[in-house]
Amino acid sequence: MALTGMRGLSVFISDVRNCQNKEQERLRVDKELGNIRTRFKNEKALTHYKKKKYVWKMLYIYMLGYDVDFGHMEAVSLISAPKYPEKQVGYIVTSCLLTENHEFLRMVINTVRNDIIGRNETFQCLALTMVGNIGGKEFSESLATDVQKLLVSSSCRPLVRKKAALCLLRLYRKNPDVVNIDGWSDRMSQLLDERDLGVLTSVMSLFVALVSNNVEAYWNCLPKCVKILERLGRNQDVPQEYTYHGIPSPWIQVKTMRALQYFPTIEDPNTKRALFEVLQRILMGTDVVKNVNKNNAAHAILFEALALVVHLDAEKEMMSQCVALLGKFVAVREPNIRYLGLENMTRMLLVSDVQDIIKSHQAQIIISLKDPDISIRRRALDLLYGMCDVTNAKDIVEELLQYLNTADFAMREELALKAAILAEKFAPDLSWYVDVILQLIDKAGDFVSDDIWYRVVQFVTNNEDLQPYAATKAREYLEKPVLHETMVKVSAYLLGEYNHLLARRTGCTPKEIFIIINEKLPTVTTSTVAIVLSTYAKILMHNHPPDPELQEQIWSIFRKYESYIDVEIQQRAVEYIALCNKGAALVDVLAEMPKFPERQSALLKKAEVAEVDTAEQSAIRIRSQQQTSNALVVTDQRPTEGSLPVSQLGVVRMPSGKMEASTQDQTSFQDQGMTKENGVITEVVPQDVPPADLLGDLLGPLAINGSPATAVPVEQRNQNLLSVVEATPEAAGSLALTTVDNQPNSIQPIVNIAERFNELCLKDSGVLYEDLHIQIGIKAEWQAHHGHIVLFLGNKNTSPLVSVQALILPPTHLKMELSLVPETVPPRAQVQCPLEFVNLRASRDVAVLDFSYKFGTAMVYVKLRLPAVINKFLQPISVTAEEFFAQWKSLSGPPLKLQEVLRGVKPLSLPEMANLFTSLHLAVNPGIDTNPNNLIACTTFYSESTRATLCLIRVETDPSDRTQLRITIASGDPTLTFELKESIKEYLVNIPTQTSSAVVAPSQPQSPVTPVAYNDPGAMLAGLL
Amino acid sequence: MIRAVIVMNTQGKPRLLKFYEFQPPEKQHELTRSVFAVLSGRPDNVSNFVEADAIFGPGTRLVYKHLATLYFVFVFDSCENELAMLDLIQVLVETLDRCFKNVCELDIVFNFNKMHTILDEIIFGGQVLETSSERVLKAVEEISRLEKSSSSVSFVPKSVSGRFGR
Repeated sequence: MALTGMRGLSVFISDVRNCQNKEQERLRVDKELGNIRTRFKNEKALTHYKKKKYVWKMLYIYMLGYDVDFGHMEAVSLISAPKYPEKQVGYIVTSCLLTENHEFLRMVINTVRNDIIGRNETFQCLALTMVGNIGGKEFSESLATDVQKLLVSSSCRPLVRKKAALCLLRLYRKNPDVVNIDGWSDRMSQLLDERDLGVLTSVMSLFVALVSNNVEAYWNCLPKCVKILERLGRNQDVPQEYTYHGIPSPWIQVKTMRALQYFPTIEDPNTKRALFEVLQRILMGTDVVKNVNKNNAAHAILFEALALVVHLDAEKEMMSQCVALLGKFVAVREPNIRYLGLENMTRMLLVSDVQDIIKSHQAQIIISLKDPDISIRRRALDLLYGMCDVTNAKDIVEELLQYLNTADFAMREELALKAAILAEKFAPDLSWYVDVILQLIDKAGDFVSDDIWYRVVQFVTNNEDLQPYAATKAREYLEKPVLHETMVKVSAYLLGEYNHLLARRTGCTPKEIFIIINEKLPTVTTSTVAIVLSTYAKILMHNHPPDPELQEQIWSIFRKYESYIDVEIQQRAVEYIALCNKGAALVDVLAEMPKFPERQSALLKKAEVAEVDTAEQSAIRIRSQQQTSNALVVTDQRPTEGSLPVSQLGVVRMPSGKMEASTQDQTSFQDQGMTKENGVITEVVPQDVPPADLLGDLLGPLAINGSPATAVPVEQRNQNLLSVVEATPEAAGSLALTTVDNQPNSIQPIVNIAERFNELCLKDSGVLYEDLHIQIGIKAEWQAHHGHIVLFLGNKNTSPLVSVQALILPPTHLKMELSLVPETVPPRAQVQCPLEFVNLRASRDVAVLDFSYKFGTAMVYVKLRLPAVINKFLQPISVTAEEFFAQWKSLSGPPLKLQEVLRGVKPLSLPEMANLFTSLHLAVNPGIDTNPNNLIACTTFYSESTRATLCLIRVETDPSDRTQLRITIASGDPTLTFELKESIKEYLVNIPTQTSSAVVAPSQPQSPVTPVAYNDPGAMLAGLL
Repeated sequence: MIRAVIVMNTQGKPRLLKFYEFQPPEKQHELTRSVFAVLSGRPDNVSNFVEADAIFGPGTRLVYKHLATLYFVFVFDSCENELAMLDLIQVLVETLDRCFKNVCELDIVFNFNKMHTILDEIIFGGQVLETSSERVLKAVEEISRLEKSSSSVSFVPKSVSGRFGR
């Protein structure tokens, strides 16, 4: 009897299990799929029961990882079956096999609705489960009201209502408007009175989702949450089935405390007192017990309580209590508790006044750095990184260096980067910093990114007293028989610059230095050869009194490389030989590198980017983001001798033609900033583009200050010699930003605004703008022709930002509504400003946000483009080859179908292009075009007047030349075709930076004069000569 | 939100896969393999937590339990509490244990349809639906009754499934 139902299924499963290898399994699966396919095709009158059996088999096959690309119809059709068993299978399998946009789902909306509003509870449950798992926007539109009714209905059983609550949550995610109705927050508040804890579990999840998006609407619910915690905490009215190992529903307690973390503060003193009582009880009353499960549950609550206490900025006493608890946890053996102890202690670092207590646990934390569990090691590393400051940097960094020897490969890169950052941020003295970096390179060269060694060179160049020390160290490392290539680069560079400082020491004559470096030359790659050649040229210059033998040796090497295959090397060799014949001019040309202008460390920037790349909504995350980025910015302003503030970058560099090409890729040069002077092209790089990297500085053939005198001897290469001079600090200060009334802006963005905008055109959340005081994040949702953007204005300071104003200049094709922007952003708070868009027609115009605020006496104005661009109103759609070609043929020729050959396209492989298209909401449909070098994509465009318009795109690429391609776009609307084509073109030609709009906040300097920076040594030299 | 529930054996064979954000089957398989690669490398007596950023994207975490020949894995984002997720795995396991009377891998293999039913009563669209295993069992029993009422679908007892198994 037991087997009569699904005997076929069981037999099939055991067949598959008995397969000896993957090949046999595939054969068995293929056979079964073939069988099912024929049954479905030929036996029209297949019983529901048989269908059910086959559909389960399909799901099993699907789980094994095989694609099941048929039978979806049969699965879906089971939903309409009258009897429970078939209907059940239909619902379960549909929610496993189909995506929310699957067209078949549309066909069953009515059946699903009937099940939901029908009287049969079991059918209601099935339907709600399916919608809750894969319901999309259409479901949201047609079912939300019915689901809401179930949720608040008094006649429904808890079994149904709890599912309705979570189903509504899904529908809300698909369309936030479903709860944008009058009185919803009151209803929510009533729901939180729910006595049945099963329903309350679901309701609380719904509440967390709602409150995380809009705290303001739910203040009335706050006391209810505290009541729930009180009820559960006192174990009042909690049925046995909802106590887990004696603890009243840990899940509800945890969720409720999570919800409370979305409220910035608690105003009402009574509520606050009640909550703190609850929290106090949790903190005091949790002991480590033997039963693992009980322990877990109790600590789940405890850790959530800790997070809430930190969020609420409780009094010092309670905070100390928390730290004391955490101190206990980081020392326990139970790995889960220790893991969470470390993690929560890291969060605790944001609280002032407790750092010292945390530091007292340093030894214990270092032990966890050697734990057998990588998860714990990672947490320990994060914590050590976070707790490091000037007082303990030496200990911690040395500990990290030591750990580097034994650390697993997966962690080494992170370790190296973190050690380098800490050494830079907190170095008690600079020679220690040099030691650390050199040790890092020596021990883990493969994991040390270029940024790290560029930075040490920068420091040494800028600090004269450090130079002899660094050179000595470099010389010492060269003694080692085996050396990492990066070490060769640093040593060669440093010794090239500063070998003369070592002249009187033993083993440090130019010749000896040359010989020891030259030993490494045969084993290094071209990028290192380039540096070594420059070093030789510099050694030659310091060769006093001239040693003809050394000179001949170096020359012979230059001559050898004169015909080298790599252009860069060849050019260097040729130029250095030519320079050598210039006699005295050599000394000028090869003079020591000038100081680098102070700039934000690429490393610190990297750390920052890693930490703020998402506009994640978790309350804790937001706090930590604000704090972390702030900390980095502040420490970055370490006053260095003759330094300029970070925000005012000025750099003189003279890269070769090759460097130029690479810089051009990364930065958007403004044409009007280019002038020709003295045969040297001087480019003014706009302020918003940070120097691409240090590569330009270090690997430029020579540190020549762009001056006529030095340019003369190297005239032969003037053609490809460009001096890139950034706007001087003064010029930048007055010209850097487009201001409403031409007032100077003293505050500069610390992110690349154009880049951020471009990134946000391709994704829906991230940082739009950031400066020292404010971070503006964006989270967007797009739905047909509607758009919903939330701007997160985060104040990074401990004092408020005032006179905050946001004006939107909407282009004609967008209808927009910005909710009220508060005039003040409180300290360390984040304000959300929702923004609604309606798309009226296709256009590439961009909406601009005119944003201003006042901090202290400084008024800051920025103009920010909002990423409400045409591709956001697209929805990808898959079509079959037949549908495609039918449309393709019917849309013949311009203006409906436009074709263009694009040249100068950023080279992308086809998968990369497909990825780009996917980010643009274009569905790539493989298999329609038989030529593998072509790409077909389809999408639908939504606007208020037209609703969905199908757009077809075909890209023909040339595998031998990826910089050109032909694109053809067709749609039923000529404007759309044109605008879409132009838009895609921009993405293809200008990735990643496009300069389509002129309203990037910090605009280019207005006059194309060659800037002369009198306090910048390099530029000053240039000016004098 | 819970992103995925994966039950697999210690050889990496999936026994139950449920992704709450759609993933095509190849991707599901790939993710399962990556999870297995991480878990199989972990010694005993370490924590039950693994950062899953590299596999499931930034901010994701993974909690697992290793019981007999099976791994029970929950993948979730920063909105969930790790230990609460670990407790929920325990609820799932306890429910299975009561449902199958000393659950073993074979039960799960041959009753994978039942597994889906049970899981759907505990997690709903990536959210915790029910935490009381009594209530889950009641709901599941009710469903079984309904299934039997028209045609019989009951789960395969171990003694019989043993015949098909290896």
